[in-house]
Parts: sequence; C-alpha cells; structure tokens
Amino acid sequence: MSILEIKGLSVSYGAIKALEGIDLRIEEGEIVSLLGANGAGKTTALRAISRLLPIQGGDILFQGKSITQVPVHGVVSLGIAHVPEGRGVFPSLTVQENLKLGTWANKRKSAIPDLRQEVYRIFPRLEERKTQLAGTLSGGEQQMLALGRAMMTDCRVMLLDEPSMGLSPLFVKEVFRVIKEINATKGTTILLVEQNANMALKIAHRGYVLETGNIVLEGTSKDLAHDPRVKEAYLGHQ
Amino acid sequence: MIATAIQQLLNAAQLGAVYALIALGYTMVYGTIRLINFAHGDIFMLGGFVGFLLVSVIPGLPVAVMIPLAMFITAMIGVMIERVAYRKLRNAQRMSLVITALGVGIFLENLVRILVGPQARQIPAQLPNKVLKLGGGVVITEDKILVILISLALMVILWVFVNRTLIGTAMRAVADNRDAVQLMGVNLNLIIATTFAVGSALAAAGGIFFGQAYSIDPYMGIDLGWKAFIAAVIGGIGSIEGAVIGSFLLAGVEVLTVAYLSSNLKNGIAFGLLIILLLIRPNGIMGRAELKKV
Repeated sequence: MSILEIKGLSVSYGAIKALEGIDLRIEEGEIVSLLGANGAGKTTALRAISRLLPIQGGDILFQGKSITQVPVHGVVSLGIAHVPEGRGVFPSLTVQENLKLGTWANKRKSAIPDLRQEVYRIFPRLEERKTQLAGTLSGGEQQMLALGRAMMTDCRVMLLDEPSMGLSPLFVKEVFRVIKEINATKGTTILLVEQNANMALKIAHRGYVLETGNIVLEGTSKDLAHDPRVKEAYLGHQ
Repeated sequence: MIATAIQQLLNAAQLGAVYALIALGYTMVYGTIRLINFAHGDIFMLGGFVGFLLVSVIPGLPVAVMIPLAMFITAMIGVMIERVAYRKLRNAQRMSLVITALGVGIFLENLVRILVGPQARQIPAQLPNKVLKLGGGVVITEDKILVILISLALMVILWVFVNRTLIGTAMRAVADNRDAVQLMGVNLNLIIATTFAVGSALAAAGGIFFGQAYSIDPYMGIDLGWKAFIAAVIGGIGSIEGAVIGSFLLAGVEVLTVAYLSSNLKNGIAFGLLIILLLIRPNGIMGRAELKKV
C-alpha cells in the first residue's frame, strides 16, 4: 500500500480547471518530485492534499484511507505536514514560537524535546536565532525554519512547495541537502514541488511532470533527466 | 494643590482601567482577524446589563461570583455574535465585515432598549466602598482601588495568556498567516471564537465596573466604545501593551482637562491627541510597521 495515493484529482477555481484528474502514487520513504512550469497546477495539487482547497472530483488516500472529509486542521495530525509556497513562517513570532506551533498537533508530547534537538542539530542557525522574530530572518533562514517547523509535527509525509524559490545558490544547495538528510535519517516521505528541475531530480527517486492540469510524464529521476522532452522544457540544453 | 492632582490621577486610573478593558477587545480581534469590531462597545454595554440582571434576579449574589459569571455569559454572547454575523464573511471584503459590525452594534443597542427600556440604571454597589483617607486630603473609596487592581490583574493574566501559552501563540499567528496556522493543526474557528470570548469577557468586567461607578444605559457603548477604540489606536492597534498604555493616557488627558480646563474641551482634546499622535506615529505608540519579508 502506498503511503499517499491520489486518484483522478480534479480542482477548479470557478470556471477554470486547475487539475483535470491527476493520479499520483508515493511509496513510504520516497522523495517524489512534481515538476512543471508556472501555472501547471503543482501548488494546487499540494493545497488540495492538505485540504486548503476544496476538490471537485477524485480521491486522496493516506495509508489507504480517504482524507477528503478531513478538515484542514486535521491533516497534520494524520502525519502530513505541508510547507507552503512562500514558506508560511509567522514573521511576528520568534523562531522558538514558530517551532512550538509545529508541535500543536503532535500527540507524542514526550518526543518534542528530542525533535527540537534534532531540528537544532540540522539547522544550528535556528538555535542561534531562537529568540529572534522570524520576520527578521533571511529568506534562506526562513525556509529552514519552515522545514524545522514541519519536522516538529513528527510527520511521515512532507509536502514541500518550491523550497528553493528566491534563495541564493548557496542556500538552494543547502536546502536540497537538508531535504535529502531528513529523508535519509528520519525516513520521511517527501513530495517535492519544484521549478528547479535539475536539483529536484538529483535528490528525488521518482518524478511526475505536470502540464496545464495533467500528468504528462512519470518515471524514475534518472529516466526523466534523460527524457528529451524534460531536457527541452525543464532542464535546458546542456 | 498636589492633593488635588493625586486625586485626579486616581480618578484617571479608574477611568483608564475601564477604557483598557474595552480597548483590549478591539485590539485582540484586530490582532487576529484584522476586523475593527465596531459592535464591541455594545458588548461592553451588554456586559453591564448582564451584571445588572444577575444582581436583580439573584439578590445577595456575592460579587466574586457575579463578575466572573457575567464575564462568562457575555463571552458566550460574543462567541455567538462572531458565529452568526462574522464567520460567513471572514473571506469577504473588509468593508462588508465593518458594515456588519456597525449593524450588529445598532441591533444590540435597540434590542436592549426594547427589553429593558432606555433609562439609565445603576448596578447596586457590590464592592466594598468604605472611604479611605490617604492623608494630605486625598480620599479614595475601596471600590475604586479594587476596580483598578482587578483590572490590572486581568490585564496581566491576558498578557501571560497571549504571550506565554500555546493558544495565545496561535492567536498571534492567525494574523500573520491564516493558512499556515491551519497547517499546524490549529482549528481556526476555535482560535477566533476564543479571541471573541476573551475580549467580550474583559468588556463585561469593564461594563460592570462602569455601571457601579456611574450608570448603564443601552447607548453607553457608543461613547465609551469610541473612546476605547481611540485608546487602542493611540497605543497601536493589535498590541496589548499599547491598548493599556493608550487607555491610561487618554483617561489621564480627559480627567486633567476636565479638572484644570473645562469639561467642554474633554472630547476635543481627546480626539486632537489622537490626530497629533497619529501624525507623529501612524502605527500608534507600541505599533510596529507591518513586518513582512517576501
């Protein structure tokens, strides 16, 4: 049984169809990247999974059970953490407070100190700045805070929306390295939405390519990286 | 001379405490859903009447029970108002919400007028009110001291709740990013209801204190509500510390104007202060400029 399975998912904004019945399957422990141009429907797919958007058709199964009746605030306690586009940190709260809110739905209260230690180990910068307001952090630091906060939920699946967006090349590398580390050390399953297809395919096991609301390609990262259509549209000629 | 000044400052502290209890509700609701709840002054009025009805219906009800009970009942009314009038409009344009709030206020004023009549009433004295002589001719009644102390205690409790508890942290986060708060597993409706409950409960305490010191009538929330709103804006709307500072500042200016200049100038000076302060500090004394990095 796949940890996350999306069947025939359709989402519309009024009369505009954003997703026209897509199928995705993610196995436990995988990093799966969802590639596509602006407006292809990548963010919509993540927002539908975390129930921020109502769906018009299809089903979302987490460990075989449909979650389409679960309210937004119930999704994270199932074990799905969503790091939204633009990071979604709380700028007027301190770094510590941001991390603390990540534990809101975490039922294993005894595990929280260990989780915090792990977050500070992976992101030493967050510990240095724990009493600072999140709004005063740099973009890269905010992305780390968003990832750290997702770790605090003790999730089994992370939905990451453009974690590299707007970051300096150094931070982009760092963010991808950390995603790989979280996956490798904690076994967290990751669904990664990215425009930076190069980097995404380097760390992902498999990938899907989304074009105007439809999945047009899927395969292992290796196959996708060598696919002429992917090379042409997303990787640039090299 | 100095005795009179101290006397006036004590009066100002009492009025400021009432303003602060109302202003905190404005600032909390604004701090979470960015709504200026123009019905909030009328919730203050309702709180006064709930207290009045409690002592009328249950004679001999100890004040230590009456005040918390009235705060609780008013809190539930506040939650109901949010549920019925505001929730559906949460994602509507701001203006619809503001107009609705004004409508709710007019509705509450007229509802109370129909139910109990337009005349002013006083909540029978509940708090001990012996006169204490502080020396130098300064006189204060016990109830005045109690009102100031209870109000300050409520403010401290509120500050701890908002700044040191997880629910309080979630409240502050709602204003920052409503989607992200829900992704943490926070039930948005619960947090917003809590905000209304706490704000309404504090306003009820203010209404009772005011009704014991002066009187209550269905329209008392208009004048006092506006003053408290001004106090919240002067202090920096959205900031708890700001609401308290703004309230005591405004009350001080008002009381001193009445004492040393003329009571006719009271409102003129209060609103003038607002204009001058906003020219110098558009975000209020404690207000921060919106701090958002994209």
